[in-house]
Amino acid sequence: MNSAIKEDDEMPQDDGLKIGKYTFKSRLIVGTGKYPDFQTMKDSAVASGAEIITVAVRRIDFNAKDNMLSYIDLNRFTLLPNTAGCYTAEDAVNTLRLTRELDVFKTDMVKLEVIGDAKTLYPDNEELLKAAKILVKEGFTVMPYMMDDPVLAKKLEDAGCPVVMPLASPIGSGLGIRNPYNIKIIKETVSVPVIVDAGVGTASDACKTMELGVDGILINTAIAGANNPVKMALAMKQGVEAGRLAYLSGRIPMKLYAQASTQMEGIVF
Amino acid sequence: MKKLMKIDINGKEFDVSDGITVQNLIDELKLDIKSTAVAVNKTIVSKSGYREFLLNENDKVDLVTIAPGG
Repeated sequence: MNSAIKEDDEMPQDDGLKIGKYTFKSRLIVGTGKYPDFQTMKDSAVASGAEIITVAVRRIDFNAKDNMLSYIDLNRFTLLPNTAGCYTAEDAVNTLRLTRELDVFKTDMVKLEVIGDAKTLYPDNEELLKAAKILVKEGFTVMPYMMDDPVLAKKLEDAGCPVVMPLASPIGSGLGIRNPYNIKIIKETVSVPVIVDAGVGTASDACKTMELGVDGILINTAIAGANNPVKMALAMKQGVEAGRLAYLSGRIPMKLYAQASTQMEGIVF
Repeated sequence: MKKLMKIDINGKEFDVSDGITVQNLIDELKLDIKSTAVAVNKTIVSKSGYREFLLNENDKVDLVTIAPGG
């Protein structure tokens, strides 16, 4: 009997990543920060298969030699503005209000982060929730970067966030998923999709994170900072896809002792 | 000769013609309007208001666009 996969419809069904009223095929979102140059940023984004890429909103640098936008195909990628560097709800809200005037943003999706501490870049829970409530009321599709805290996840869901984005470990740390149990509890606590944002270090982290059953992952530093960002972007794509497929396929339970995979019946000696 | 006034653009002082609008400033700086957002004295100016919005002496203008980020 040929057990090889023959038809797509024999594969576990994956109906894509839902973020509010939007749906995406790719479950990997990538950042655009910290690349050695814009060409590598572009090639990595393409290799990752991501449909959403995050960007910051900053004052125009009149001395810049190169324009980031000329490397981004707006028909291919949905730009997701972030609020990196904002320490208060007010600053984050005002930053995102600015995006309404930027035609490069084709959706109302925003990545909301309100930082509470410069050393850990951990979010400020109170300010985050405050900003989320204001932005939801203003019609934004709010994607909050948050601590891996199930109680806060529920509050953000109740505030109207159509997705929650707990961290795996601190931004740029590459420590991987530090509390997989909390991520699982968050996934069971909220009914909106869960996207793990920050901390993934390499492809196995991405795979293991997806095996937990989360809906997506946002990665920047682990790709941009790799020796070969383009190849790492492809590795992350495959890690995310493998992890999702393994989750949908249902892993075997762990057992303490061996269970023979070869039958004993018909043994000769 | 046109009268000049000082305004702050992205943290730097510039001399511009007295009584110019946000639209005049964008044209002068040859900015791509689609990828530029404007705030004057920390208040966002909507695109539809660029032609009417007059800049005044000592205004602080922020001209904003996208930048790399995670």
